[in-house]
Amino acid sequence: MTTEALYLSPTAKLPYCRGCGHSLVVRQLSNALERLGLPPRSIVLTTDIGCVGLADSLFPYLHTVHTTHGRSTAFATGMALADAAMEPQGLKPIVMIGDGGAMIGLLHLVHAAQLNVDITVLLHNNFMFGMTGGQHSALSPLNWVTATTPDGNSIPPLDILALLRTAHATFLARQFATSPDLATTIADAINYPGFSVVEIVELCTAYGTRWNQATGASLKEIADRQGYAIGELETEIERPTFRDLYRHEQNVRKPKRAKPPVPRLNTTAQLKNEVRVVLAGTAGERVQSAAALLCRAALSVGLYSTQKNDNPVTQGSGFSLSEICLSPKPIDYTGMECPDVVLAVSDEGWKELQANGTVAACREETLLFVDSQIEAHPPMGCVVPLPLRREANPKRAALAAIAAWLENNPLLPPEAWDAALAADPAERRAESLAALEVGRRLGGECVKSS
Amino acid sequence: MLAEGALAAGCRFFAGYPITPASEIYEVMMRELPTRGGLALSAPDEISSLCYCVGASLRGLKAMTATSGPGWALMIETVQYALMTETPIVVALVQRLGPSTGGATQGAQGDIWLAEFSTSGGYTLPVFSPSNAAESYELAIHAFNWAERLRTPVILLSDKEVGMTSEVVNDEALQIPDLVNRKRATATADYAPYAVQEPETVPAFAAVGEEIKTTVTGSAHDPQGRLRKNSPQVINVLQRLQRKIEAHAEEMALVRPDLDPDARCLLISYGVTARAARQAVEILRGEGLRVSFLQIQSLFPIPRKWLDWATAGVEMVFVAEENLTGQYRAALTPYLSGKRIFGINQIGHLISPSHIARAVEGLMA
Ligand SMILES: Cc1ncc(C[n+]2csc(CCOP(=O)(O)OP(=O)(O)O)c2C)c(N)n1
Ligand code: SF4
Repeated sequence: MTTEALYLSPTAKLPYCRGCGHSLVVRQLSNALERLGLPPRSIVLTTDIGCVGLADSLFPYLHTVHTTHGRSTAFATGMALADAAMEPQGLKPIVMIGDGGAMIGLLHLVHAAQLNVDITVLLHNNFMFGMTGGQHSALSPLNWVTATTPDGNSIPPLDILALLRTAHATFLARQFATSPDLATTIADAINYPGFSVVEIVELCTAYGTRWNQATGASLKEIADRQGYAIGELETEIERPTFRDLYRHEQNVRKPKRAKPPVPRLNTTAQLKNEVRVVLAGTAGERVQSAAALLCRAALSVGLYSTQKNDNPVTQGSGFSLSEICLSPKPIDYTGMECPDVVLAVSDEGWKELQANGTVAACREETLLFVDSQIEAHPPMGCVVPLPLRREANPKRAALAAIAAWLENNPLLPPEAWDAALAADPAERRAESLAALEVGRRLGGECVKSS
Repeated sequence: MLAEGALAAGCRFFAGYPITPASEIYEVMMRELPTRGGLALSAPDEISSLCYCVGASLRGLKAMTATSGPGWALMIETVQYALMTETPIVVALVQRLGPSTGGATQGAQGDIWLAEFSTSGGYTLPVFSPSNAAESYELAIHAFNWAERLRTPVILLSDKEVGMTSEVVNDEALQIPDLVNRKRATATADYAPYAVQEPETVPAFAAVGEEIKTTVTGSAHDPQGRLRKNSPQVINVLQRLQRKIEAHAEEMALVRPDLDPDARCLLISYGVTARAARQAVEILRGEGLRVSFLQIQSLFPIPRKWLDWATAGVEMVFVAEENLTGQYRAALTPYLSGKRIFGINQIGHLISPSHIARAVEGLMA
């Protein structure tokens, strides 16, 4: 097989209108590939929608992926990203996209530039949508007459290369389709190890030259008027490609140690039926982590548990709430039709319980352990006010509330807490144990007094 | 657990975009995949997330993304591309209350139609719906297996309540299927990317970048991947895309039945509501009522044989789901002819066991 046969055959019948700039590009792409002598299977031609997307069948020995409007860059990026994580690697996607596709898929170009993935984008800028009948695009020059701007375009055109420069693209070039340097520029772009773009300024002969006084020679005039630099543009200094970054990360990153499983104790819990507990407080005061600790303690004595958390939309302020079910058997329904136990450790938390219907759902048997500062008057249930915030400090009040409740209803043996806390750093464990101690004391006092 | 299931299934690529209640999957993947020889990445939007995944799958990796209703709306173009190009892909769609931005932290089962009926041409997208953490793990593996085996996009339809509730999972009780990988093409000459040997329905896969030249296209194509208009071969390919799903529908079926052979009524549910429904059945039976229960895990293709079996001798069918209009009930109705069908629906919070039990009792009376 000669290299010629590997790329575009000189006798290939091109699918474009006579004189269409796209036909010059495919020939120069083929020349560039021949010059580089890359193995054809290391290349994937990723084409967009539009006339520009008709190129696939012209390159019978390359992998081809014909995609959706504007998304070719994103599919190519996905292939290049995956390639960076594979062995052996070395895939080179070449994207062929029009000015229409470039705008609808602008975000994909920007992100590919930021990532510096190893893809080459050939942006065929013929100033309009060819395939759909010559409508104007975001890259149409001022006064350009199109099917949708019969009096001339009045919106200034976008300079995509300037935009991609701000996304830290490090290879940016612009050439006329008619330029003798086009093949060299394309070859340089493909050879470049990161993200590269060549904007090719060309004409749509079906619509562009029909409605505008434009020839190949006037392309330079248009470019000058728009301040479009031609050739390989100067960019910021080189920076690592995505491949480099991935390789580096693989070398420096250590697997995270997962939290060890909770040890299973020989003791079993004193629990016959499911209990449903609602724990409410203020965000940032370790409400949800106290609930998680309760579930871990329950797990150590063979109980099943579910935990659901709730916050306002902003996670760092306002109420913080956990709903916990503990059960000797697997738990189906996780809702709180009527809670068995309500633990409220801040006013914010209590207000949320009022707002979300928990307070109204309390029954006569519901036990409510609430901080003494809260004005809690539920229609039903037994309220036990305790100075949790004062005695245990606000950040440990939730855990203390759990301990106070359990002192009155000893479901869990003390060892369960040791098991739950085993994996925590010493300082944190000591804090938690102190909170549990305060809770037990407060809970014990109220047992005595009742 | 869904993310863990995906990892166990061999997922090596993840691209995501933050959205409650799917962000946890994204975070687990960002943390875990790089240390397991894979790649996880933040995309600039959901269109890009899914395009990156499809690109990675074309290169040969098992890939997944996770989103919620608003992000899924953006992915529909690319899901169709995956379907048309026969690219295996898994999308975890963790439902929240809709429409639009809706309630980010509220659960719902309102995206059944949006998930299933999202393709031009009305193709069947396989949809699996877990009701708890353990099922999230198991069904993630099934989803990957079917995506690989049938070379098609598969949806894992979870919701806020299933995805964001921590619960105890008994590892030993997990039912883990064997892993399936897409069938690879072997012949290098004359490889036709969309051709099958009858009676097979799924073409062999050749990865972009490997020795066999492949041709991928989202436009209507013949078995060779060539764009053709009005060609019977193209129509054949389009028909095969649906036929391959239907041919495997019964094998794909996953249900958890709890039938009473003497029951005159059957309660059907799925996802998080199946948990309440299971408990409602206990309540009803405790009151002496004869009811059967069917939890459906493989929502689409509809498990018709199981449905026929579960409804034999039954006069009334109840479908409990957390949406307004009975989306899955509507999908099941054509397969329940001769039965009286009732919906038990509610939005805004979990449907409770007592709500379901009362509704069934009321309708039976
Ligand atoms: C999402 C979507 N919107 C619209 C279209 C219709 N469409 C097909 S080609 C095209 C324009 C192509 O113009 P351009 O990218 O400049 O390429 P050219 O045809 O000029 O080569 C459009 C809008 C589509 N295929 N997909
Ligand atoms: S319509 Fe325009 S862009 Fe399309 S092939 Fe013809 S000349 Fe080229």
